[in-house]
Amino acid sequence: MKHLLLKLEPIIWLLFGQGILLGTLLLTGWVLVVGVLAPLGITPLLSFSDAHELAATLIGRVVLAALIALPLWKGAHHLRHVFIDLGGADRDATVAPLLYLIALAGSVAGVLAVIRL
Amino acid sequence: MPRASHPHAMQPRNPGSTRTAPPQMSPKFPMQGRYRAYTLFDWTGLIYLLLGFLALRVVWALGTGQEAWNVVMDQFQSPVYIGFHVLSLISVIFVGVRFFSFFPKAQPPRIGPVKPPPQPVILAGLYAAWIGVTLVMTLILTGVLF
Repeated sequence: MKHLLLKLEPIIWLLFGQGILLGTLLLTGWVLVVGVLAPLGITPLLSFSDAHELAATLIGRVVLAALIALPLWKGAHHLRHVFIDLGGADRDATVAPLLYLIALAGSVAGVLAVIRL
Repeated sequence: MPRASHPHAMQPRNPGSTRTAPPQMSPKFPMQGRYRAYTLFDWTGLIYLLLGFLALRVVWALGTGQEAWNVVMDQFQSPVYIGFHVLSLISVIFVGVRFFSFFPKAQPPRIGPVKPPPQPVILAGLYAAWIGVTLVMTLILTGVLF
């Protein structure tokens, strides 16, 4: 398993890095409006029909897929390192695949979610 | 108390001729000195993971229909979700500021034949992109641009 993880490291690092970079770029406005301002009634939120129409465009689907998938990989990789730093290096061969599988499952579900829009 | 750190951390490719002491975790780990920002940066992984799944939930509801969308939006008005999203916003800004501060320093001297721009230019570009994307996203989501 360790050998496989080392072979996949470039792909994981690519997704992790983009999770930080693109994830942060996209999440700031998303969390600000969808998670804070609109629920507090400070700003309006797109209606369902407008949101659906916008999300169903090609650009909308790509942006939403990135918004879902990339933070998952950033999260999985950072949590793996939290675990190692807290003394779990011996179990990294078990924990790392589990975290990456969670990110992979979420990413696949994200792609399905934007396809079914 | 100092304790043994990751046994392979900083391990050289070829063993040196001089024996070295086994690596020890600093007593400042995890929340003192510079380790505080390092540890918090790592823990934002949990926030990002949850945010990814929450975004998945929103988009899935959008694909399911008006009723599912309304359920999610109603739930987002609960204090628990608002509190989590405020914490998330702080985390995302923290990640952005920290990552963008060391991104220019991590650039190689040359990328193929091209020399990267000066560090302040890269940093300014990152912040311009961040502010721009956030502004556009905010205007779209609030219905101003669409």
